Amino acid sequence: MNNKRIVLPGERISDKKLFMPNTFVEGEETFAAVIGMVDEEGKYIPLESKYKPLQEDVLVGIVTDIRHAGYSVDINLSSPGFISSKDFRVQLELGDIVSCKAGQVDEIGEVDFSEVKKLPPGKIIHFPPAKIPRLIGRKSSMISLIREHSGGDIVVGNNGYVWISEASNIPLVLKTINIIIRKAHMSGLTDEIAQYLKNQKTGE
Amino acid sequence: MGQDSDIKLLVDGKRLDGRSQFDLRNIRIEAGILHDADGSAFVEWGKNKVICGIYGPRECIPRHEASPYKALVKCRYSMAPFSSLEEHSRSGPSRRSVELSKVIREVFENLIITESFPRTQINIFVDVLQSDGGTRTTCITAAAVALANAGIPMRDMASAVAVGKADDILIADLAKEEDNFGQCDMPVAFSYRKKDILLLQMDGLLTREEIETLLNEAEKASDKVYAKQFDALKKVYESPEENFKM
Repeated sequence: MNNKRIVLPGERISDKKLFMPNTFVEGEETFAAVIGMVDEEGKYIPLESKYKPLQEDVLVGIVTDIRHAGYSVDINLSSPGFISSKDFRVQLELGDIVSCKAGQVDEIGEVDFSEVKKLPPGKIIHFPPAKIPRLIGRKSSMISLIREHSGGDIVVGNNGYVWISEASNIPLVLKTINIIIRKAHMSGLTDEIAQYLKNQKTGE
Repeated sequence: MGQDSDIKLLVDGKRLDGRSQFDLRNIRIEAGILHDADGSAFVEWGKNKVICGIYGPRECIPRHEASPYKALVKCRYSMAPFSSLEEHSRSGPSRRSVELSKVIREVFENLIITESFPRTQINIFVDVLQSDGGTRTTCITAAAVALANAGIPMRDMASAVAVGKADDILIADLAKEEDNFGQCDMPVAFSYRKKDILLLQMDGLLTREEIETLLNEAEKASDKVYAKQFDALKKVYESPEENFKM
């Protein structure tokens, strides 16, 4: 938290024109559009934001409707995504969980899917999309740490849905993820989580 | 407003609750108090208690209202049946709550970057749990915090305060008695950065000069409100352990 300052929507973050997500430009200056942090170098990190799909994103979705040509999938956007049964031959049922990659994204934010995979039953949770990079960690250090200690698989969707396999220690994963949500903006988080998971293990 | 009474609203420059002319009541703001809403806030402003929840941007219902150019902002203001001593005995839609929903909606239509979310709607729900004069300004203050907490992109923050006149003296942040028996009540909402006036209503009479003085005072007061909003949002991240949850 030290030497980082919180900025609210409308606060100036640079006197140059920067075109970044979650900011807007007026005249020659750039302003924050969502609550965020500015570090000592003047870099702006949003703390809360809405998910905007980007190509190559990993998405986790829930099947919400079966239609004659395919499936509607809830991917945490305002409109559901669509998986065509032409591209994906496996039969899906309502409530099934799928993971996929975002293909083309159009200007109103509708996504094409590629590499669709059906995930086995598990727990799905919401995770704030702005904090996903912390859950994955540098070179996925954080998520592999959690995977290692939970004993099962976890799939993190950039869209803010996280799937946890039935084989993992779900209560432990949920507790850990809660800490990450609350402390996502703090430094040294991976070390803290490593320590926490170690303590939990010896506590058993 | 304008009701006759022999209550003296100001005695020796002190108001009924002991405040002086341009003092504000105590303001306490908590952000992020609801688990399931996208963003939320609770504001205690004197005896006013307001809770606000934000949902969206989400699918626009009914579909035909959706705009292909921008997100719709929808606001519902409601008073709890137990929120005040008289009048608001039922919380269904009334002339008054429809008006307040509209003015609050218009404040945020001017702030939210709605073009980023075409074909969607953003819902603002404000519920007054206890009222003591100045609920619309309290609601705007709460909704601005909740929207920032939800991560909805905005061009500016909004802070609101009421100013007015009672016993021929100009005052800020009117309480219920001053509103009911005073001479004028003028709620104003300012954006913080540009100082745009987002809401200006007036009930009662003021001279041109009085309005000028009061707008200046309201601007100063809204900066104090903004400081409280800022602290509330900062607290969510600075001390994540002590967060207040309902």
